[in-house]
Amino acid sequence: MEALQNLFSGLSIALMPVNLLYCFFGVFIGTLIGVLPGIGPIATISLLLPITFKMTHIQAMIMLSGIYYGAMYGGSTTSILVNIPGEAASVVTCFDGYQMARKGRAGPALGIAAFGSFIAGCLSVIGLMLLAPTLAKFALRIGPPEFFSLLCMGLTFVIYLSSADVIRAVMMAVFGIILGCVGQDPEIGSLRFVFGITDLLGGIELVPVVMGLFGISEIFSNIEKSLEKRSIFRTDIKGLFPNWQDWKDSIMPILRGSILGFLLGILPGGGAVISSFASYGIEKKLSKHPEKFGTGAIEGVAGPESANNAATGGCFIPLFTLGIPSNVVMALLLGALIIHGVTPGPLLMQKNPEIFWSVVASMYIGNTMLLVLNLPLIGMWVQVLKVPYKILFPLILLFCLVGAYSINNSTFDLAVMLVFGVLGYLMRKYKYEGGPMILAFVLGPMFEHNLRLSLLLSDGSFLIFFTRPITAVGMITTILLLISCIVPFIQRRRKLITTEV
Amino acid sequence: MKAHFYWAGSIFWVTIGIYVAIHAYHLGLGHLRHPGPGFIFFGAGFLLMILGAIDLARTFLWKSKKETERNSVWLGIRWQKITLVVVVLSAYVYSLNMFGFLLPTFLLLVFLFKAIEPTKWWIATTGSFITTLASYEIFKVWLKVPFPKGFLGF
Repeated sequence: MEALQNLFSGLSIALMPVNLLYCFFGVFIGTLIGVLPGIGPIATISLLLPITFKMTHIQAMIMLSGIYYGAMYGGSTTSILVNIPGEAASVVTCFDGYQMARKGRAGPALGIAAFGSFIAGCLSVIGLMLLAPTLAKFALRIGPPEFFSLLCMGLTFVIYLSSADVIRAVMMAVFGIILGCVGQDPEIGSLRFVFGITDLLGGIELVPVVMGLFGISEIFSNIEKSLEKRSIFRTDIKGLFPNWQDWKDSIMPILRGSILGFLLGILPGGGAVISSFASYGIEKKLSKHPEKFGTGAIEGVAGPESANNAATGGCFIPLFTLGIPSNVVMALLLGALIIHGVTPGPLLMQKNPEIFWSVVASMYIGNTMLLVLNLPLIGMWVQVLKVPYKILFPLILLFCLVGAYSINNSTFDLAVMLVFGVLGYLMRKYKYEGGPMILAFVLGPMFEHNLRLSLLLSDGSFLIFFTRPITAVGMITTILLLISCIVPFIQRRRKLITTEV
Repeated sequence: MKAHFYWAGSIFWVTIGIYVAIHAYHLGLGHLRHPGPGFIFFGAGFLLMILGAIDLARTFLWKSKKETERNSVWLGIRWQKITLVVVVLSAYVYSLNMFGFLLPTFLLLVFLFKAIEPTKWWIATTGSFITTLASYEIFKVWLKVPFPKGFLGF
């Protein structure tokens, strides 16, 4: 009952015309970048963060969230039509979606992807609405040692699941913590690694770092080879509504994918990418005809597309209840909240409940908008795919430059973006992960703060991290995960399911 | 020489780790009861150094396999274009305060449209001109981003 009341209150904010406009803008941009290979939600949210400075914190969260779950919808279009995933969470959709298109069934594939995403998106928002307030109340009881262990666990999950090379992923996470703590010491004010540069007194800005690491480096990766024309599979896209048999085959994969995606989204390190792969694996195992997977089985589209959308709802739970982002996109949203002067954490839902409930309400609205956008506008998205990348990338680059400059009206941020762009590109070439680094960069100050507080509380003893129940579970899980990486047979199994964040 | 080039990544991180740890020591580690400003940096720098050394050792031990990978990483890559883009972007950042937004942006876009993939001159210049003006209108006029004016006054 309380949840419904709060939801109506959130709806009253989300249905304000200006907020509806930002929601539409977010899901539209999200679908667009989901369609376009070469740029994903991380880079886009990074690029659009400066624009949100002119908005209220609610409008910013509504728009940025819309981009995230909108990208999941859009990614399926290129996977099905071009066999190129629009973004990482749609890789699996290529396996069967493209084969369906080759058999003249592009319409039902696109349709079931859109409907499955809509159902999963709605179900995950319901889960978010019911679970988050309860978890937030529980989160108020935890202290610095529990926070520290949860941060360690979250970071370790991201490292464990996102990278085949754990040592390098840990290195990047450690480097991210170093970068995140640059600036004035929060306790005694001494300057740390500022090198006499006044722009660094407040620390390194998040936006230029992520723009460089993901946006600029992505551009470099794309232009390093000749920009060939994409060929779109020439098929008449008709009959977007799946038939009765398609629904019969897809409904259970959609429901299973929704639950799986939501639960995996909650876990630190989980998210849309892992959910989609896990769903595909499960559907193949449960299917009476597993040999059909890879040849155009509609279950291979319905399940993963539902899972990746449901995960977007689950991902918000740790962010809103604990203030701990479960993946890189959530880390950017956390950064956006901080930039807007909102302190994320367990008190967020008490002090700023309007943020949570208006975002939840906007997700219901956004999912409906996406269903409307994706089905009739597929023809338009197909045309967008034809824009040559040699025209697109200068525009994206210009957008990055202006965006980075607009943060502090300083060319120093442009220089930071360029440095991290080069670093990000080299990291890609030499297989160092950017995801753990950015997550650790955002969490770094929280990490240090909670560690120092915990040691103060325990009079310098590290045993505090093993004597309190929640903390002990978190630390033991962290240690076990890291140890498991060096056990050969577990290592081989993990490498089979590892994907890029 | 080829092997040295490939180890560069690991050596880079080891160097960063050592530098951070030394600098952190001078910041002051405090003690466990009351960690100082350099505490987290020392721990992180030390860990980075150790992990970098392990990564370096792995690279050295598996040299023959990794050399093949190293060759394939840069094979067929237009690294000269990437380098050129980085140099031009650096020049753009440097010249922004001096010349303002419009002129450097126009020249940058002409370069990007023209230099990476073959594009006709009239397409590159017209596109750059329109894009520069449109972005000025959107960001300066609508979103009120205070672009530098430079000595040209705009």
